[in-house]
Amino acid sequence: MTNNEPILSAKQVSKTYGGHCVLDKVSFELHSGEVLCVVGENGAGKSTLIKILSGAIRPDSGIIGVHGGTYSALNPRESMQLGIATIYQEVELIDSLSVSDNIFLGNETLGRFPLVIDADSQNKKARQILDMLHIDIDEKMLVEDLSAAQKQNLQIVKAFHQDARVLIMDEPTSSLGVEETRSLMQLVHDLRGRGLGIIYISHYLEEIFEIGDTILILKDGEQVGLYPRADIDVNFVIHNMVGRDASMFFVRERVPIGADQIQVENISWKDAVKDVSFNVRAGEVFGIGGLVGSGRSELAASIFGMVRKDAGTIRISGQELSINNPKDAIKNKICFITEDRKKYALFDSMDVQDNIVIIHTEFGKSPLLKQKKENRLAKSMIDKLHIAVDNTEESVISLSGGNQQKAVLGRWLLNDATLFIFDEPTKGVDIGAKEEIYKLIIELARKGKSIIMISSDMPELLSMSDRIGIMREGRLIKILDNQRITEEDLIHDFIGI
Amino acid sequence: MKNGKLHKILHTQWFTLLVVIIVISVVTGMVNPRFFRLANIINIFEQISTLGVVASGAAIMIISGNFDISVGSIIGLSASVMAMMIKAGVPIWVVVPCGILIAIVCDAFVGFTSIVFHAPSFITSLASSSIFKGIALALTSATLQTIFGKFSFLGSARVFGVVPLMFILGIIVYLVVYFILKLTRFGRRVYAIGSNPQAAYLSGINVKGSKMLFFIINGTLVGIAATMLLSRIGAAGASTGAGIEMQAIGAVVIGGTPISGGKGGILGTFLGVLLMGLISNSLNMLQASPYLQELATGALIILAVAVSALSNRNGKASM
Repeated sequence: MTNNEPILSAKQVSKTYGGHCVLDKVSFELHSGEVLCVVGENGAGKSTLIKILSGAIRPDSGIIGVHGGTYSALNPRESMQLGIATIYQEVELIDSLSVSDNIFLGNETLGRFPLVIDADSQNKKARQILDMLHIDIDEKMLVEDLSAAQKQNLQIVKAFHQDARVLIMDEPTSSLGVEETRSLMQLVHDLRGRGLGIIYISHYLEEIFEIGDTILILKDGEQVGLYPRADIDVNFVIHNMVGRDASMFFVRERVPIGADQIQVENISWKDAVKDVSFNVRAGEVFGIGGLVGSGRSELAASIFGMVRKDAGTIRISGQELSINNPKDAIKNKICFITEDRKKYALFDSMDVQDNIVIIHTEFGKSPLLKQKKENRLAKSMIDKLHIAVDNTEESVISLSGGNQQKAVLGRWLLNDATLFIFDEPTKGVDIGAKEEIYKLIIELARKGKSIIMISSDMPELLSMSDRIGIMREGRLIKILDNQRITEEDLIHDFIGI
Repeated sequence: MKNGKLHKILHTQWFTLLVVIIVISVVTGMVNPRFFRLANIINIFEQISTLGVVASGAAIMIISGNFDISVGSIIGLSASVMAMMIKAGVPIWVVVPCGILIAIVCDAFVGFTSIVFHAPSFITSLASSSIFKGIALALTSATLQTIFGKFSFLGSARVFGVVPLMFILGIIVYLVVYFILKLTRFGRRVYAIGSNPQAAYLSGINVKGSKMLFFIINGTLVGIAATMLLSRIGAAGASTGAGIEMQAIGAVVIGGTPISGGKGGILGTFLGVLLMGLISNSLNMLQASPYLQELATGALIILAVAVSALSNRNGKASM
């Protein structure tokens, strides 16, 4: 299947962010008619690799080869002109135009009159292309009426029409149903037969083994290896994706664990959370793991009242709570440190002090602001959490990710809660701040708080949790005592094979 | 430390505004010495008092991420009803609360429709504006309701024989809004909701309830402005107050509050209003064409937007 020259290659491509190497000397060759699958955990460097190939970021070193030419870096325009097309989810299509208009966008077929598009001939050609790829979409339909899967197919068709030689697909099936996944697989198969080179990234290892010719395994930015599919199996891949050095793990202190403090019973919300029950003891860190989309964040949102749960009860120390919104949750001593800091937590037009005291002030007794007290409280949190700021009036967006996260944490620490829910507590945070946040979580546990920690970071989950609950497709499928569990065991449970 | 503070003040938008105001005053005064006469200065303050009350409400709206462009129509409706009641012989102490109540109900309607239908208040106030104007036109049969001499106390009274009562009322409103925005928990909610409504909700703030209150406070101020305007003019119709909402939004923006909300304040708004009144007065004093006034106001707003865009780019917060 491979013929002489590769159409796309990378040699020793590396990228470092702030001293942290996210991609370390990665090399591969992609030939015409080949499907190269890239696998690895979150943070393994998959997205960085795609961004380098699509021209969104510059690598620090290494060579990219396209059609015999070599480049030290690409920009998005060059990448496109060289025939590399990246399929993102639901972007780059114009909703108010038809399918065929979108396919021909930018190189419309003109008719007899200048500036007037020959819609008939465009539609006819679009139909031919769609038929050729066995895609069952009406070419005259408006894009806004298409399903997510159809939009994705359309992007692929568009890339194909624009003579793309390489298609890069990043988690293309994450939002698709079984049937849609099947037809996407078929389409990939077709395109491969037409001589395109395809880079396919997915968490779902079954798909990888179904369509991949070669498999590139990445771990923490390093290339574990590039293997022909026939030479390896699922277990081999999992084993090599995970299994880190001991140095990757934070060694936490053990603190005494008390009696059951939090009881979550039969929580359901829409299709995302199905009948989830668990307990958390005082002083315990209860980790929750699972793939993206397994319902972890939705579970947290249901507990915190961010969404109105359909069923279920939450008890703290035996007392049933009535939680209809975040306000009720906070009153009942529940905290929720969200995953998306920018969207759900930061007040970016306000200063550090106002960001730290916001909840304390909101739930204080006095309707008047106590400026001096606020200033004192903000300063105490800045000192306690080592937030790097010059003064309390500094704008919160001027801080680094780690310091922003600490400011958000400070907000919740001022509110003496019983249950702390952390959703990806160290996402986008540098290593130094990471350790501080871990120590803080343990400090809370020592004080007898209960902690729920959702994380996609395996070493984090394994080094911090006392027990780990595993979610898959909205259900909490099992709860493991965190003793002698390996990353491999977890991955098996996450994907269910 | 002290130097740092001074440096900070020098870089705020209100300080720039103050400098501009002084420069315009001095230049106008040099060309036409009548500018500095007490009568003229009192005149300026009197003219801007109504706009100031409306702009104070607009400041709360804009900082909280909302817009109310129905203010002009609400003033028209409220003032018309008050004028009709006065003509019918209803005592003033009944008329004024009724007028203010009408404004509150109207603004509450704008807020309610925005909250319930998850629509931007810009749109619901645009639509409501037509409704209020239509009601006012129907009630008055599109005629001007004149009440000369029956309710001129508010508009013509001078405290200590010099300071217009209207101006004092305006200052009181500024102070009250300043107090709300800077010294109360409710004021903190205005900024938090304007900055990031989702984060505000997750911090336990009742976003919908607060938003409703913003509209009610704005309605109260609009009602007060309608009363002031009616007393000063001595007549009202459906188009009384037309266009004042745009002037108010302009004054707030000139005062350094970004249209995107989340920050800003009342001191800048006061100076913005003052600058607008001053420019209109200066152009009169310099005997410029009245058409130029409109042009100058528009140019001023663009200039203010440019200044705040540039200072944002430099990462400097305004006030």
